[in-house]
Amino acid sequence: MNTATLDTGRVSSRRPNLGGALRAEAIKVTSVRSTWLLLAINVVGGFIVSFAVGALVTDEVLTIAEVGFYWTVVAAVLAAIGGVLMFTADAQHGTLAPAIAARPTRTDIAFAKAAVATLLGAAFGAFGIVAGFCGASLSGIDAGELSAAPSTSAWAVMYTTLSAVLGLGLGMIVRHGAGAVSGLLVWGFVVENLLLVFIPAEIARYLPFVAGNHLLDLDSDIDSPEAIAVALSRVENAAVFAGYALVSLAIGITMLTRRDVD
Amino acid sequence: MISVHHLTKRYGSRSAVDDLSFEVRTGRVTGFVGPNGAGKSTTMRMMVDLTRPDEGEVRYGGERYRDLPNPARVVGAVLDARCMHPGRSARQHLRALAALIGVASSRVEDVLAQVGLDSVADRRAGGYSLGMRQRLALAGALLGDPAVLMLDEPSNGLDPDGIRWLRDLLRDHSNRGGTVFVSSHLIAELAMFADDLVVVGTGKLIVADTVHAIQQQSGRYVVVRADRLGDLHQLLGTDDADVELFDGRLIVRNGSIGDISRRAFEHGIALTELTEMTQTLEDSLLELTRASTEFTAS
Repeated sequence: MNTATLDTGRVSSRRPNLGGALRAEAIKVTSVRSTWLLLAINVVGGFIVSFAVGALVTDEVLTIAEVGFYWTVVAAVLAAIGGVLMFTADAQHGTLAPAIAARPTRTDIAFAKAAVATLLGAAFGAFGIVAGFCGASLSGIDAGELSAAPSTSAWAVMYTTLSAVLGLGLGMIVRHGAGAVSGLLVWGFVVENLLLVFIPAEIARYLPFVAGNHLLDLDSDIDSPEAIAVALSRVENAAVFAGYALVSLAIGITMLTRRDVD
Repeated sequence: MISVHHLTKRYGSRSAVDDLSFEVRTGRVTGFVGPNGAGKSTTMRMMVDLTRPDEGEVRYGGERYRDLPNPARVVGAVLDARCMHPGRSARQHLRALAALIGVASSRVEDVLAQVGLDSVADRRAGGYSLGMRQRLALAGALLGDPAVLMLDEPSNGLDPDGIRWLRDLLRDHSNRGGTVFVSSHLIAELAMFADDLVVVGTGKLIVADTVHAIQQQSGRYVVVRADRLGDLHQLLGTDDADVELFDGRLIVRNGSIGDISRRAFEHGIALTELTEMTQTLEDSLLELTRASTEFTAS
């Protein structure tokens, strides 16, 4: 047993800084298998899908410059799932309570999570692009025009980064991992595609993943002539998608600071 | 000193905690007791700002919890033993907490050794027993070497050795000048090491006093058996004593053995049993909280 006398006048103890909260979040993210599993899916999936598309699609001329970025659409979803789990894992496993008890102002925790989600999203983007280009290269297709690849890569990383922030915000709002992830997948893969059929192109261009996917500036066979006619610029698409991400994060932070923690 | 002033928390029309006020004294172990649904956990959650009270406040040495520069260095709280990711190791769990509260990561090894989990620190917490989880949660509370330990049902899942270890740890903490505020259903266990008790029922304060004083208040009664029990019941009932007929015996409170035997002798009643009993703390507390017990077996 420790026999030293306790300092009971700890009220004057120093306030911990934001760096500590960032380190804590980084440890949390890197110490669970789900993060590494998502990154592995991102890398392996990106490689296999890009290789398969390059090798198996023969009815159109594809290039590495194009196919290398196809996987980013999925990488963005995986990044969003990573963002969701950053918060919901804490909420569902009760690790949010000790964190909030340690930082009762709560905003430190939120900003640290947002910062780490940003890094996580960027990592998903970068690894996804590398895996996509490796797979496409090995499939034997032509390189194509690669001069735009660096800037497209930057837009792609921005897309996955904002996706992770969007996922974090969604997780903070919903607080339930399975609910938030299924909501995200159903919206991204089902609801938006249905809405594209029923709503005018002037409105559809503001849907989150429509705007996000257009950041990649890929030639899409899905876009109708009406959609192409009213398409937003890359900067406008970025602003729309960032708007969704930041609004969901702002709502999530507001709810975190106001709601009781179970 | 922790001062709880008029705490109130309502969920819809139901008051989980109703105008609750009490003090937890420095350097003492204070037990927090009450039946299920009495509002103990809600109160403790309000004390560390996890739940916002509708009314009232809690002060630590005059400061509100949220105004403490580094609350984890003042209060180490364990309000749920399941507060850990099952896929994360104990060491990583504590490293993250240490970073958050601004203590050196070397402190992680200290508390792991203190709670006896150093040999399994790299195992995922999902494989831990409830007792091991309690120890890990306690390690998290000890990380900041806080002056106050606040624990909600910390002995759940601990084996007898573990309970003794916990009791010694908490007693040692208070002997070193620390404050311990602990809720438990194991009243007999609490009686062994608590100095003070705060007893609540349906969110309201029933009594807050020293363990000794609470035992003294309702601690003694006399069991009487006699040949003419009905007559003796009537006779003693006319005195100030509180008399109850139970299972062929009279239970007499506020009466002494001398008075009872004298009255029986004066009226020619033969006594076949006259025993002074001391009520256990558990009995006393059950009696105090009986009216506010939400759930009872039939």
